[in-house]
Amino acid sequence: MRRLLAGLAVGTFLVTASACGSSDDSGTSDKGASSGGTTTVKVGIIPIVDVAPLYLGRQKGFYGKRGLKLSMTTAQGGAAIVPGVVSGQFQFGFSNMTSLMIARSQNVPVKAVANGAASTGLTGKDFGAITVKKGSALTSAKDLEGKKVAVNTLKNINETAVRESVRKAGGDPSRVKFVELAFDQMPAALDSGQIDAAMVVEPALATVRSQGGTEIASSLVDVAKDLTVAMYFTSTQYEQKNPDVVKRFQEATAESLAYADAHPDEVRSVVTSYTKIPAAVLAKVTLPKWPAEPNRASIEALEKLGEQDGLFKSAPDLDELLP
Amino acid sequence: MRGANAALGTAGLAAFLALGEAAPRLGLVKAAYFPPTSRIADALGQEATDGAFWTALGDTLTGWALGLVTAVVAGVVVGLVVSVVPYLREATASTIEFLRPIPSVALIPLAVLLYGTELRSVLLLVVYASFWQILVQVLYGVRDVDPVAEETARSYGLGPWARTRHVLWPTALPYVMTGVRLAAAVALILAVTAELVIGAPGLGARIAVAQSSQAVPDLYALVVVTGLLGLLINVGARAVERRALAWHQSVRGEVAV
Repeated sequence: MRRLLAGLAVGTFLVTASACGSSDDSGTSDKGASSGGTTTVKVGIIPIVDVAPLYLGRQKGFYGKRGLKLSMTTAQGGAAIVPGVVSGQFQFGFSNMTSLMIARSQNVPVKAVANGAASTGLTGKDFGAITVKKGSALTSAKDLEGKKVAVNTLKNINETAVRESVRKAGGDPSRVKFVELAFDQMPAALDSGQIDAAMVVEPALATVRSQGGTEIASSLVDVAKDLTVAMYFTSTQYEQKNPDVVKRFQEATAESLAYADAHPDEVRSVVTSYTKIPAAVLAKVTLPKWPAEPNRASIEALEKLGEQDGLFKSAPDLDELLP
Repeated sequence: MRGANAALGTAGLAAFLALGEAAPRLGLVKAAYFPPTSRIADALGQEATDGAFWTALGDTLTGWALGLVTAVVAGVVVGLVVSVVPYLREATASTIEFLRPIPSVALIPLAVLLYGTELRSVLLLVVYASFWQILVQVLYGVRDVDPVAEETARSYGLGPWARTRHVLWPTALPYVMTGVRLAAAVALILAVTAELVIGAPGLGARIAVAQSSQAVPDLYALVVVTGLLGLLINVGARAVERRALAWHQSVRGEVAV
């Protein structure tokens, strides 16, 4: 028995070691191993409401009927997803538009392939907003001058959006003090007065609302009408080597997005399969919009604002980035 | 003596749990962000009925165990070789001191580039962090060898292997065991952290999902589980240490008194 165990241990070690050795060729297409006409693709996602169409599309067989098997890998954020896609560990990833443009401006070879999620375009009814605590004296984005405002990542899409809201309200965005805080920590920080306002998205937005917090601006709406907030992307290398897989992924995702947009109840139920959002919160969550196509004009507006705020080393080439 | 210790330990824990229940109920902290003990216990019960929770626990323990074993073996072998060969010791000292303080977490982007969000990226971080704990203890342990004992062994004609076996190893073992105990705790912390940040399957990834889902009691329930794991690992490591060093003064002394 003991010898058997030892043998197994050594065997496992060798398998692991040889698997390590073979990872050198991870750039090649055989990672998305195909067997019997089905290609398995790994998609790096953040476990949030925005990616629900992928889960729904997989459940409905939109990917399966195109010979794709989706394997979702959850990560905390872009820190793990972008390197994962670029190195070929994932074939596709989910990222916000500003991060993709920043990557492109730094010559990271990413290519957006399918629409991800969009703002609802309705002021006061979007899935992200600048919020203040109950009874706060701040009533408009202009009041944020000299105040502490939390965003999830400095120098990224939400900072751009808050700056634009302040600008539109007639204030000076350079006087806003931005602090970095994870979305999930914002409701508590707001409540305890550590910050004066927070740029939150769902489901933290629903939590803030349930505490009596109020919205003073719908920043994603202020950036552009029907802003394309996030997209699915791949590496340029993978796109060139596997145009067919990319095309099938695009078609299946477009179908999934359209289906999700038309069936919000099914979206809410699929969300419970990969998040732990409590039912009471989920019922009050504002869903994003899922148009099948990205809105280029809105992305251009986002790019212009990002450039103005110095997010990019050099202006990203949208023709190269977008599908 | 033992019974009294256990009683005191239990009383301490009970007081802590009572405080956790009372603080939110008395309004000292907001129940929404710091749920009372009973609600956390409730969420813990829910978790225990979920198969995915046990899979996650298994994933975390796998990463921890594989990482720890690799780090212990590598640390002991490298440590012995480096300290036995004088030139090697001089040559590696500054490199070790340079690499040791690098936080494992800083290697996360590298881990993802190499291995994606799989077990192997967790292992990279776990092994990196716990390897140094072992290595440094082995180096200290070997340095502690009594020169008189070493010379005596030499004059009795013991070869290098026998000297390692009978002089060096017994001197170094208490140090190695301390290293193992430290490394066991560090390995757990790194396994959970890696899962939390990278998203590799395990308790950490589950904590991350609960966090971003605003599921506060679930979040605390999972944190409690990692705390319990840490406690068990420490108790286990101490038991192993006592066994391995049963012959050693430090352990024998306790029993005799």
